[in-house]
Amino acid sequence: MFKNKVFWLGIIILLITFLLIRVTSSERENITLVEKMLRDAYAPLQSSVTEMRDYFSGPRSIFNQKAELNKKINRLEDEVARLDLENQILREQAAELKRLRALVNFMDNNLDKYNLSAARIIARSPNNWLETVIIDKGASDGIKKNMPVITPRGLVGRIGSVSEHTAQVNLITDREIAIGATLQRSRSTSGIVEGMLESNLLKMINIPYYASVEPNDVVVTSGLSRVFPPGIDIGVVHQVTEEPNGLLLSATVVPTVNFDKLEEVLVIIDYIPADDELVQEGTMTGEE
Amino acid sequence: MRLRWVLHFLLPFLAVFLQSTVFGFYSIGGSLPDMVLVFVVFFSVINGAASGTAYGFLCGLLEDLYLGRFIGLNAISKALTGFLVGKLQGSFFRENILIGILAVAFGTLANALILLVLSRLAFTSFHFNLQFYIGIIYQFIYNVILAAPLYGWYYRSSRVGLLRLSGGKTK
Repeated sequence: MFKNKVFWLGIIILLITFLLIRVTSSERENITLVEKMLRDAYAPLQSSVTEMRDYFSGPRSIFNQKAELNKKINRLEDEVARLDLENQILREQAAELKRLRALVNFMDNNLDKYNLSAARIIARSPNNWLETVIIDKGASDGIKKNMPVITPRGLVGRIGSVSEHTAQVNLITDREIAIGATLQRSRSTSGIVEGMLESNLLKMINIPYYASVEPNDVVVTSGLSRVFPPGIDIGVVHQVTEEPNGLLLSATVVPTVNFDKLEEVLVIIDYIPADDELVQEGTMTGEE
Repeated sequence: MRLRWVLHFLLPFLAVFLQSTVFGFYSIGGSLPDMVLVFVVFFSVINGAASGTAYGFLCGLLEDLYLGRFIGLNAISKALTGFLVGKLQGSFFRENILIGILAVAFGTLANALILLVLSRLAFTSFHFNLQFYIGIIYQFIYNVILAAPLYGWYYRSSRVGLLRLSGGKTK
C-alpha cells in the first residue's frame, strides 16, 4: 500500500516537473521570488570571490610575470598611440557626420547618446549548457530585462533576468539568442547571428547567396532585433559557406569580445528602438 | 540530526557557488565539473537508492532555480542518477575509494544520457551539438579527478563525522 502511494506520488512529481521544464524552457518576463532570493543570497559570496581574485592576482602578476607584463605594457603603449591617432580621425569624422546629419535631420543612433551603467561579473553559469554570467547590478540599480550589454570591444549579450541586486546576462554565444546583424562594409547585407555554444565562435545565417561576404568583414548589429542598438561590433567573419539549398550563405564569426576574460561590462539602460522612440515622442507631444 | 541534514544541503549550495566562481577560472577545455552531481552520487552510494533519489531531486532543483531556465531538468536527471547509483552500489564495499570514483564516472555518463533523453521528451528548443558531447568527456575527467580526494572525506564523515545521518544505515 505504502509502495503504491510512493509510486503515484513519484509519477505526480515527475509530471509536474515535466510541465515546469516546458514552462521555463522559454524566457519568462519575470523570475520567481524564490529564484530572486537564491541569487541575492549567492551575490555577496560571489562578489567576495571576485574581489579576492583581484586582490591576489595583482601582486602575483607583478612578481611572477614581470617580463610578460613589460611586454604587455610595450604592446599596449603602441596600441594607445595608434588608437589616439585613430581617435583623432574618428572625432573629426563624427563631428562632420553630426553636422551633415543635422542638415538632413537624420536620426542620431550613435552609442554616445546612451546612458551606460558599468557592472562587474561576479559569477558564470555553473554548468556547461547555458552561456550566462551574473553581474553585480540588479533591479535596485535600474537594470531591466532585455537591456543590451556591451564592452568597449563590442556586444556581450542582453539582460535575461533580474533580481534585486544581481542580473543574469545571456551571452551572444548562447544558442537561444538571435541578433539582427549586418556587415559594416556593406550595410545592405543582412543576416542573423546566433551562438554555437562555443565561447569562441558565432554563426551568421540567412545571408542571401548574392551578398558580398568575405573573411575579415566586420559584423555589426543592424538594429532589426529591437533589443540591440545598431552599429555595435559583434565580430569578424572567419569563414563563409554555402547552405545546402544554394539560396543562402552562412558565415562563422569570431566575436570581438573575449568571453573567457570578461570581467566588466556596460549595460545600456536607456535604449529605445527607433520606431518606439518615434511613438514615444508622438505620445509626449500629443501627436497621433 | 536536523543539523546533519542542513549540512547535506549546504554541500550542493557550496558546489553551485564554487562552480559559478572558482571553477570558472580553472575549467578543463572550457568545461566545468558537476560537483552537485558528485555529492548526489556519494550520497546515493552511502544512503541507498530511495534517499539518493530524493536528495538528487532536491539538489538538482536548487541548481535549476539558480540557473532559472529549464527548471526541473537537473532535478529529474539527478534524481534518476541518484536512483541508478543507489541501486547499483548494493553489492560493493562502500569504504573502497575506487567505488566512489567508479560511481562518479558512471553517474556522470548516466546523468548526461538522461539529460539528452529528457530534452527530447520535454522540449525541443535545447540544442545538442558536438560541443555538448566534448563537454561531457571533459566533465567526466573533471568529476573523476574531484571524486578521488573527496570520496574518502565524504565516506568518513558519513560514517563517523558531521554527515552521519543514522547509526544503522552506514556500514
